[in-house]
Amino acid sequence: MSIQYKTIKELTLMLKAKEISNKELIQETFDLIESNSHLNAFVTLNKENALNKAKAIDNKASDLSLSGIPIAQKDLFVTKNLRTTCGSNMLSNFIPPYSATVIENLENAGCISVGKTNMDEFAMGSSNETSFYGNVQNPWGENLVPGGSSGGSAAAVAAGIVPAATGTDTGGSIRQPASLCGITGIKPTYGRISRWGMIAFASSLDQAGPMARTAEDCAIMMNEMCSHDLKDTTSLNKEIPDFTKNLNTPIKGLKIGIVKEFDLSTLDNEVVKIFEESKKHYESLGVEFVEVSLPNINLSVPTYYVVAPAECSSNLSRFDGVKFGKRCKNPKDLEDLYIRSRSEGFGEEVKRRILIGSYVLSAGFYDAYYKKAQQVRRLIKNDFDNAFSKVDLIMTPTTRGSAFEAGSMNDPIQMYLEDLFTVPANLAGLPGISIPSGYVDNKPLGVQLIGNSLQESQLLNVAHCFQTSSDWHLRTPSSEIR
Amino acid sequence: MDKETVATISYLSRLAFDKDNEDKITKDLENIIKFVDQLESIDTSNIDPLTSPLEQTAKTRVDEVTAKNRKEKFLQNAPDANEDYFLVPRVVE
Repeated sequence: MSIQYKTIKELTLMLKAKEISNKELIQETFDLIESNSHLNAFVTLNKENALNKAKAIDNKASDLSLSGIPIAQKDLFVTKNLRTTCGSNMLSNFIPPYSATVIENLENAGCISVGKTNMDEFAMGSSNETSFYGNVQNPWGENLVPGGSSGGSAAAVAAGIVPAATGTDTGGSIRQPASLCGITGIKPTYGRISRWGMIAFASSLDQAGPMARTAEDCAIMMNEMCSHDLKDTTSLNKEIPDFTKNLNTPIKGLKIGIVKEFDLSTLDNEVVKIFEESKKHYESLGVEFVEVSLPNINLSVPTYYVVAPAECSSNLSRFDGVKFGKRCKNPKDLEDLYIRSRSEGFGEEVKRRILIGSYVLSAGFYDAYYKKAQQVRRLIKNDFDNAFSKVDLIMTPTTRGSAFEAGSMNDPIQMYLEDLFTVPANLAGLPGISIPSGYVDNKPLGVQLIGNSLQESQLLNVAHCFQTSSDWHLRTPSSEIR
Repeated sequence: MDKETVATISYLSRLAFDKDNEDKITKDLENIIKFVDQLESIDTSNIDPLTSPLEQTAKTRVDEVTAKNRKEKFLQNAPDANEDYFLVPRVVE
């Protein structure tokens, strides 16, 4: 029986019923990685350790929640003794001496990390084309991008290689690739999951989250990924619920807001049709739709492209060719060492964002750009606070369209606008989920739900109710419906 | 955005660019700055900047040593090091 496209829940049952051994499951996972190597979803594999851990579980059974489950880890999380590149040439030889809290939490829950997934360099990109390790192919079509920056994680789940993967989301990097690859991905409330050991891009926006085939599996992952971590000063010290507990709560009577200021008429007809049909589906489950106004929401992308590059330029100043990472050959002095190591180590998009960041933070421009953007950021957050006094959730498309062809989007600003619907949740620190909701020319497309702060359970509940009454999430690139 | 500004911020960022690339970078940055200039249109007087969605002050903890000395492990990742230090080209003549 093939393990491809199985969920965490299904694999756990197979392991418990001894339909498959732990070692067989991991061996088959590596067979799938091999037969899908054209996707370029993985940068580094963890085969020997993974097989050893599986054998150990075969010898001594465990009832941990993720016991024996193969998980792919985004190459942005540092992993002890396992190369971590963050998609960059800068870190092509970096072997971290410790693991991220998220990785420890998942591995302590019994999961087996099978490898590190490809990603846009330092998570800066929306198509996985900025990776130093090459493009990732979307399993839904040749030459289609998987989205980014968690493109390798999305492709590995969409191709059914692993049931779930970790991702990170600074402006949409979990939800946008989830939409383009036909899987479910949730970005929790800022602070829910520790950022310790996540290589920083924009610290006030970065948040880790799970990517899986179902909302139920996302809930299982969330239960293990979330923790209060003293090593991260922005880690929330709030009660962490059992995210699987309320999955089946009826959603009748919930109010979902539709954002008045998002003009969907500029989108492709098919995209609008999918959005409208999802609305009807939720209505059939008893949900009521209400128009809400978020007057400043259309300033989210320009706000983000000041705040994120500013934080990026500051965070990435640590890569100086001295303590770890790439160093240029034969530096003539210290200055030359810094400049050439950074110029050779970083790719074009990363450099572009560092420059923008240095510009908006520099004397004379700080107030006009950085401070201004932070003020607008507050207005956007206030808009959400007002909206959530009227509705439980907000629904938007996740992306402007389905997966596009590699090499087809060359204007940086057009690429930045890919994040139109996802960026607002990062600016306001709110949880958001992308749910597979339809297909355009056999390419998947997601719809996004944004929740109020700490309301991940409600997002997962609504997504689960949608998925138990629809089959969009059950389609696979190799067959129509699983 | 002109080439001189690009040269200044490149130096602040400790990045260098080929001459052939300068025009493209200047143009890209100009377009991006033009794009974010939309923010000017909105009145933000009396609005406090939002630096983090949490808006909590830094937490305090008991002042005790928790870090272990893992000098060796960390020096292993350095491009150049001796037993005790990271090595860089000579700074003082």
